Amino acid sequence: MTENMQTPLESFIDYKADTGSQCGNYSIDIPKLQEGEQYRFHFDATACVGCRCCEVACNEQNNNPSDIKWRRVGEMEGGVFPAFTQLLNSMSCNHCVDPECLKGCPTESYIKIAETGIVIHEDDTCIGCQYCTWNCPYGVPVYHEERKIVTKCHMCHERLDVGQSPACVQSCPSGAIEIEAVNIKEWLERDIDTQANMPFLPDARITNSTTRYTLPENMPDKMKEMDEHILKPAHSEMPLVFMTVLTQISLGGFLALFLGDVMSLFGFESTNWIMALLVMMPAAIGLPLSALHLGRPFLALTAMKNIKTSWLSREALALGVFTSLMSVVVALYFLELPHALILALEAITLAVGIYGIYAQSMIYRIRARPSWNRRTTNMKFFGVAYVGAFMMGLAGLILGVTDAVLPLISLGMVGAMAQLFFSYEDARTLDTTAQNEYQLKRSSRLLNENFKNIKLFRFVSLLAGGIFLPLLVIVFIHSTSIAFMALLFSFILIVASELSDRFLFYSTVVPLGMAGGFFVGKQR
Amino acid sequence: MINKLKDFLGFDIKAEKYKLSSDPVFGMISDANKPDKWVFSTCGYCGVGCGLYIGVKDGKAVYTKGNPKHFVNMGTLCPKGLSEHQMINSPERITTPHVRKNGKLTPTSWDEAFSKTADEFKRIAKEHGEKAVGVISTGQLLTEEFYTLGKFVQLGLGTNNYDGNTTLCMASAVMGYKQSLGSDGPVGSYEDFEKADTIFLIGANIADNHPILTLHINKNKKPNKKVIVIDPRASKTSQMADIFVPIKPRTDLALFNGLAYIVIEQGWENEGYMLANTNGYKELKKHLQNYPPQEVANITGIDVKTLYELARQFVAQDSVLSAWTMGVNQSFMGTDTVSAIINLHLLTGQIGREGAGPFSITGQCNAMGTRETGFTSSLPGYRNFGDTQALQEYANIVNVPEEIIPTARGYKYAEIIDAIDRGEIKALWIVATNPLVSFVNQEKLRKTLAKLDLLVVQDAFLGDTAQIADVIFSAATWGEKEGTYTNSERRCNRANKAVEPIGEAKSDFDIVVEFSKYFDGVNEMLFPSWKNPKDAFDEWKKVSKDQLCDYSGMSYELMEELGGVQWPCNEENPKGSKRLYTPEIPFRTKDKKAKLLCLDWFPMAEPACAEFPVILNTGRTVEQWHTRTKTRSIDILNDLAPEAWVDINPEDAKKLKVKSGDRMSLSSPRGRVNDVVVRVTQSVAPGNVFVPFHFNTQLVNALTNESFCPKSGEPNYKQTAIQLHSSEVPDGLEFIKDEISGAIAHVKTAYEGVRVQEKERTV
Repeated sequence: MTENMQTPLESFIDYKADTGSQCGNYSIDIPKLQEGEQYRFHFDATACVGCRCCEVACNEQNNNPSDIKWRRVGEMEGGVFPAFTQLLNSMSCNHCVDPECLKGCPTESYIKIAETGIVIHEDDTCIGCQYCTWNCPYGVPVYHEERKIVTKCHMCHERLDVGQSPACVQSCPSGAIEIEAVNIKEWLERDIDTQANMPFLPDARITNSTTRYTLPENMPDKMKEMDEHILKPAHSEMPLVFMTVLTQISLGGFLALFLGDVMSLFGFESTNWIMALLVMMPAAIGLPLSALHLGRPFLALTAMKNIKTSWLSREALALGVFTSLMSVVVALYFLELPHALILALEAITLAVGIYGIYAQSMIYRIRARPSWNRRTTNMKFFGVAYVGAFMMGLAGLILGVTDAVLPLISLGMVGAMAQLFFSYEDARTLDTTAQNEYQLKRSSRLLNENFKNIKLFRFVSLLAGGIFLPLLVIVFIHSTSIAFMALLFSFILIVASELSDRFLFYSTVVPLGMAGGFFVGKQR
Repeated sequence: MINKLKDFLGFDIKAEKYKLSSDPVFGMISDANKPDKWVFSTCGYCGVGCGLYIGVKDGKAVYTKGNPKHFVNMGTLCPKGLSEHQMINSPERITTPHVRKNGKLTPTSWDEAFSKTADEFKRIAKEHGEKAVGVISTGQLLTEEFYTLGKFVQLGLGTNNYDGNTTLCMASAVMGYKQSLGSDGPVGSYEDFEKADTIFLIGANIADNHPILTLHINKNKKPNKKVIVIDPRASKTSQMADIFVPIKPRTDLALFNGLAYIVIEQGWENEGYMLANTNGYKELKKHLQNYPPQEVANITGIDVKTLYELARQFVAQDSVLSAWTMGVNQSFMGTDTVSAIINLHLLTGQIGREGAGPFSITGQCNAMGTRETGFTSSLPGYRNFGDTQALQEYANIVNVPEEIIPTARGYKYAEIIDAIDRGEIKALWIVATNPLVSFVNQEKLRKTLAKLDLLVVQDAFLGDTAQIADVIFSAATWGEKEGTYTNSERRCNRANKAVEPIGEAKSDFDIVVEFSKYFDGVNEMLFPSWKNPKDAFDEWKKVSKDQLCDYSGMSYELMEELGGVQWPCNEENPKGSKRLYTPEIPFRTKDKKAKLLCLDWFPMAEPACAEFPVILNTGRTVEQWHTRTKTRSIDILNDLAPEAWVDINPEDAKKLKVKSGDRMSLSSPRGRVNDVVVRVTQSVAPGNVFVPFHFNTQLVNALTNESFCPKSGEPNYKQTAIQLHSSEVPDGLEFIKDEISGAIAHVKTAYEGVRVQEKERTV
């Protein structure tokens, strides 16, 4: 200690407190990074006492309100009293080698800094789509309501750059959090499987997380997370419920239109511009709706930026093009241009639409969200197309194109049965003993406990609207008013059914992630 | 409208508010909260006494940063410390004095608040005697304020019915030190955590309550370091242990007697030290024959082999440190348990050396200050009540007539409450404490307080007690006033004023000095020309000179320069003293020898029984402070622990058909607490539950018992027989009798325990 300390004006940045660790110090002692190295966190679970200093220090450092936590502490326990093990996990961002947040981000707002390996988020370009909050298997990125963007831990890189300690490292009284340099090759080839995993965290290999964990020896095999009792539905994403279902209906409708147009080659009654307009409508309404779920709708168009790695960008672009092409198709019909031209454009449009819905379904095939990451997601997304057939059937009935009605309804019924099967499979396979059993079982609980009435409605309405009422339509096909009423009612029912199923899809997802706190849960 | 639309479309991401910028002292920090100045200070929460800087921007506290040059915390702070600036601006603050008018607390002027209180105090003193005014203070004020307050209460108001909430917390340590070593005063230093070979943590959950101390234990890199945690609950702290000793509730005294038995049996005493420095060995040896290992194993539930292993630590390792807090203190036999720990250290010479000693960890930031200066358990400077020579000495130093100095201790906390109940005390002045959450048997306490003619509450926060007050003195809090705090290791730390007191609030020092002017001649006699806390500190330095707690060599500047100074600090030890009872500092008894005491263990007066088969343990959580007046409005803390919970073993949870997240009720003969959320955990043994006491929403002190340590007056908070009621099993658990070989002896002593307790209490 220097003589005559001039407080409070003296700088503490270079002062080294005698803590025997990085903690307590406002500056940090780490060797300069060598080629092939990056910075990472080390968390020593045997040192952590669960005081939550790191959480508070992080928020104080970044001026974050209490509900925006970049660093969180989770609690787990195992064993039998008194041979009892409490395990704590203080986690912020794992600054992965292959960050899913970065890959999925449609606006390329994530940067893995080449020199340090720190994964930072660029606030200016973020549109607040929150796709990264789905993609990260650790639930690291957090949407900041006030700022309309996602924010996350950046390892206090602005401090590190000038030799200062990250706030969490500085504040930990037991020296449990440290910054280290890691050789990426050695880490991936040798150490990651033994040093990067922690109970309740997803496999570090998903994103090649870099955080090194020191765990207690003789940890009980069975640990429980202390927030086990907190099972809350995920965000229902209403704009997306409508957007996805509507675009999928459009695709189905367009398929029916295309088939009808093909059939007209064989002498059947030809399709017309009203029908083309009708199939375009759902997508035209649905697509802009999706912008509503963004924090910053005015930047919605930039969502197409990252075609290279983001399914979200691909979806945005493909469905954008699909809808535009559909409007061109309407114009071609209206202008009564040559049939071959229309047919060719329809084929192209259909292909783009199919790709668009495929891209849309792939958005959800992410490892961080087990109940989404199943084949039934793709199937159900395409499955909604049958509603388009019914829509066209209804249009046929209204427009008096009666000979198209029966084939359309039959097509729709086949589709509805397929969708029923997909939905049944989807619910059935939640109860599994396979990978991610814990999360899938919890999804199943949400579905069968929290939302059991909506689930019941989903299946009853699908059966009634997709199968029984259409049968009625077929029987009464010559009594136009009964057939019309039945078909209209059927259509309303299946649209409601698909919307409710999509609501369940979003609400019942249980993401991978860390163990949480008894009261606060995962703080996400 | 346009702004709303712009906001909806997401034009503004508030980048300014969330950007960082460089501060010359601490580096990159939040730009929005970048202070204009940093003020050197000390944390005002617990007894660890961390050095910190308060960041001030536009006259508001905006940051708290740990001082890396301060030995105690070396730059770190606990979560409460890190957010302490938020406490100052809490919406719970009382900003003006209040007087109850027509049954309603109404803001008023200081003059009205003071005159009303002074008039009532005078009337009551005239009608019922001066001692009909009682005062209960705290461990939260600054030393200067404690000295001023104590002097005013005892010499100005003339009542010795003055005690503090320190009696709910450290009193047993005080009395234990006194009866064993001749004086109060914690023996060791935090440095001893770094130097000890074996560290016993006894009834001390430092992970939750003193997390910064883990820093010192972690700094200890000795290869033979052993941390032994003795606690009936596998608290967070148990996870730090090399050996965790799950002792049965309130059997610690038997354990330490048993360890002393083994030490003597095995000839492990340090005879040289013992003969030269202690008295009472023969009697102790004889007395300990009642505590053979098998008997102690039966009582404590710790097997004989482990008992030998624990005792062996005292000879196998060079230095042994025993640190304890509330698990030991808050007990019917708290004082004697402290002495039993000290016995062990005296027998083995594990005291007065680096890394060795019995060491009480203090609860509040300045419990020490009030113990030293406060006129509660002794005259200032640890001068014993009844010591005529000491009384004269004090009278001479401060120039007051000897007759006005009390010759005996007045009522302790619980006795003050009893005296109110009897109608003996008519007015109560409560300073910075909140009995309506923190004291035992709440239902009775509330009825008792209603009997008062006048209840004055002096506090910075509108707590439960302030809400029923007749007069409120709105006090300044930490950061708004200056003085010194003394921590667990006798380190006197400087706390500076960073911001002006909120609203009309005044520092406790100003309140007392100004209030004294409403009593004829009192201000002139006690506080002649006192303007600021330094006047009190200067007098205190004179008063403490040549006492064990010698501050005569200290100055505010020295404290800032050294990061606190440990007393005794005088000409011989100009930079303070790391530990007491080194060869240079003899024991404070007449013959300068410590006393080995014969201490008896008694089972609980209210053990688990058929009706109340569960033992309730109460305590704290790291996020909250005491009765939450300071922390409940700090969202980041409160969100993490917004309500009380009950820790319950899975076995019991199964019987009650509850799972984590369910709600349950708890009842004892005194009351019932409803709507407590269940937390199923293996950290508690079957038949035992833990509930934090912080919450007025689930007031667990409605259950606790009026059982007090006869020597210290400290409540036996830690064990209460209760029943649990779930919605599925409303009748609760069945009582399971202990099936141990010593069961007969157990029942016998239980009977005696009750008898002795009754006898003691009626004295």
